Amino acid sequence: MNIVVCVKQVPDTATERKLRSDDNTLDRDAADGVVNELDEYAVEEALKLKEAHGGEVTVLTMGPGKATETIRKALAMGADKAVHLSDDALHGSDALSTSYAMAQALNKVGFDLVVLGSESTDARTGVLAAMLAERLGVAQLTLANKVDVDGTSITIQRITDYGYDRVEATLPAVVSVVEKINEPRYPSFKGIMAAKKKPVETLAIGDASIDPSQVGLAAAWSEVVDFAAAPPRAAGTIVKDEGDGGAKAAEFLASKKFI
Amino acid sequence: MDFTLPESALAVQRGIGGICSRYDLGYWQRCEDDKRWPEEVWDELAKGGWLGLAVPEEHGGGGEGLLELAVATETLSASGAAGGSAFTYVLTPGFGALTIDRHGSARQRAELLPRLATGEVETCFALTEPDAGSNSLAITTSARRDGGDFVVNGQKIWITGVQRATWMLLVTRTVPAAEARPRSHGLTVLLVNVPEAVAAGRLSYRPIPKMGANTTPSNMVFIDDLRVPASKVIGEVDQGVAVLWDILNPERVLLAASALGTAEVALRVAVGYAKEREVFGRPIGANQAISFPLAQVKAKIELARLMIYKAAWCFDRRLPCGTEANIAKLTASQAAWEAADAAFQTHGGMAYSHEYPVARLLTDARIAKVAPVTEELLLNYLATQVLGLPRSF
Ligand SMILES: Cc1cc2nc3c(=O)[nH]c(=O)nc-3n(C[C@H](O)[C@H](O)[C@H](O)COP(=O)(O)OP(=O)(O)OC[C@H]3O[C@@H](n4cnc5c(N)ncnc54)[C@H](O)[C@@H]3O)c2cc1C
Ligand SMILES: Cc1cc2nc3c(=O)[nH]c(=O)nc-3n(C[C@H](O)[C@H](O)[C@H](O)COP(=O)(O)OP(=O)(O)OC[C@H]3O[C@@H](n4cnc5c(N)ncnc54)[C@H](O)[C@@H]3O)c2cc1C
Repeated sequence: MNIVVCVKQVPDTATERKLRSDDNTLDRDAADGVVNELDEYAVEEALKLKEAHGGEVTVLTMGPGKATETIRKALAMGADKAVHLSDDALHGSDALSTSYAMAQALNKVGFDLVVLGSESTDARTGVLAAMLAERLGVAQLTLANKVDVDGTSITIQRITDYGYDRVEATLPAVVSVVEKINEPRYPSFKGIMAAKKKPVETLAIGDASIDPSQVGLAAAWSEVVDFAAAPPRAAGTIVKDEGDGGAKAAEFLASKKFI
Repeated sequence: MDFTLPESALAVQRGIGGICSRYDLGYWQRCEDDKRWPEEVWDELAKGGWLGLAVPEEHGGGGEGLLELAVATETLSASGAAGGSAFTYVLTPGFGALTIDRHGSARQRAELLPRLATGEVETCFALTEPDAGSNSLAITTSARRDGGDFVVNGQKIWITGVQRATWMLLVTRTVPAAEARPRSHGLTVLLVNVPEAVAAGRLSYRPIPKMGANTTPSNMVFIDDLRVPASKVIGEVDQGVAVLWDILNPERVLLAASALGTAEVALRVAVGYAKEREVFGRPIGANQAISFPLAQVKAKIELARLMIYKAAWCFDRRLPCGTEANIAKLTASQAAWEAADAAFQTHGGMAYSHEYPVARLLTDARIAKVAPVTEELLLNYLATQVLGLPRSF
């Protein structure tokens, strides 16, 4: 099975994230880049499927040059090779054009199954799996906490508020995973050393037949008009219990219309 | 001259750093309080091939050397393990794998290295005796030849990790110290199967209640007419001193790396506290009485690290490394102690509370000045062997 796992480099959630003042996009140089957390689960699931069914795992990343660091991490976990879609023209792409560009790359690379995280920690739109499936014309199986492949049929448990749905489809397909699905492995020593020698193919937009007028900031359907830092949290109210603590707490909640 | 670490060592920092990021200071404190081995971390290290870093690739290891083990120990220690990291790396990857790789017979290497690499088989090292610590050549545990076997009798003390060990590297005298010429002659290192010796009633041990480093017990060991086949000699009979130095030098490097990591944690928590704690309306770190000792420690940490890496580098190239290993051990344990002491002073009264890790760091740092070799003996070595000053003993 030819599995492609989409891995996004995101700014480390532990560091302060900034937007650029010139074009209101994320300042990716200002923070350390790390693998989007859910994508580690996606890689793990891809590796497990490969271990069970054979085949190959390819990492696909769209991102600037420094995303190679996180590509290496996914390769260190055990993926076989990587495709790095990287072009200045892609800067500022919104979700629609990101999905277009990635679909073009996927069509070029070829796949039986595409595995994604269900959401990134930076933009958090959570729409990419759906958009990709639509653009690729294949089934979408999102929010999976369990994936089974049997021949050309694929079944997932899709988590819902009320439990889960069983969703079945025929390969090729796009799957997105939630963190309950597995426990991502740590890269081993040999994995890290081997990752340096695994092939990483860099694609510019021309290599993947991506129309430059459909990507980048200018092509975005939505626009970040303005931004401001979140206001610092106001000091909390401390209720001192002098026998009437319960009543005071209830009063406070009532004044905020919680009760 | 190139000060960048090789890719292999950077991989160790990244890989072990990643594992350790999920185990905080609280985890290590709980291991210490519960007197238990850090199983979870050990399993992760084993699974990722981090224990077998220095085992040759043909025996299932990473094919690297002492440098990578030292960086591993430092990374683990600095993440919060502090003194506990020493046992994780010195007992099996150090005493066991490095020694068997360098001095084991082809058969010992083939049998043991693959399982030492995965941590499936663990080892411990028994040199110290009640009457022979600093003066290790004075040991009296004897191995007498009897047909194809050696018959061993004696007593050892402070032997750490016997409980988990399948094999003990036991240092014996095949020629009594009084008759040995030179005095370093007549030592023989034997591989003793611990569970078998215990089952046969020929070896027993008793843990010593101790002040710290309780993730692994240290023991009194009693050996009574224990038969060890001659195939279990490591290196040559009577020539054990060559093996011994290849155990003791890496041990010093790894213990230095553990002390270095202890200094790094102590400095980190001290700096954090010095920035946050406000007294007289400003952070205490603004007072030079607080910041200068921490700055001094930073300088000593950097110096010790250079010496540790150099010592490991020499060992891996089979160059003489005694002076480097001893200076590494000396400076790293001093850095650890000064760091823990500065962390203590910085925390004021809170240092004394178990809410903070300072007490554990202080205990771990203190023992580094004594075990596995005392500061005085390191200075003796530098004074007599390096500076050529007359011996006092
Ligand atoms: C400052 C800023 C401004 C933005 N402006 C706009 C805007 O104006 N309009 C708009 O629509 N969007 C905007 N975005 C969203 C941005 O385009 C998204 O990052 C991108 O479309 C991917 O969506 P996502 O990260 O939300 O994907 P999600 O759907 O949340 O991610 C799901 C999964 O998709 C995969 N994935 C996502 N991105 C990649 C990638 N680059 N490479 C490989 N795999 C990937 C991963 O597996 C991930 O787990 C902006 C983002 C930022 C940070
Ligand atoms: C936690 C712990 C774990 C240990 N684990 C092991 C183990 O796994 N295996 C093992 O074999 N051993 C182990 N040891 C033993 C350790 O190696 C010895 O404790 C150490 O070598 C010191 O020996 P000693 O305790 O006999 O001190 P002594 O030799 O009795 O020394 C006492 C003091 O006298 C000083 N002194 C002695 N001679 C001189 C001199 N000529 N000049 C100046 N000062 C001198 C020493 O420096 C020291 O300060 C361990 C010890 C501890 C505490």
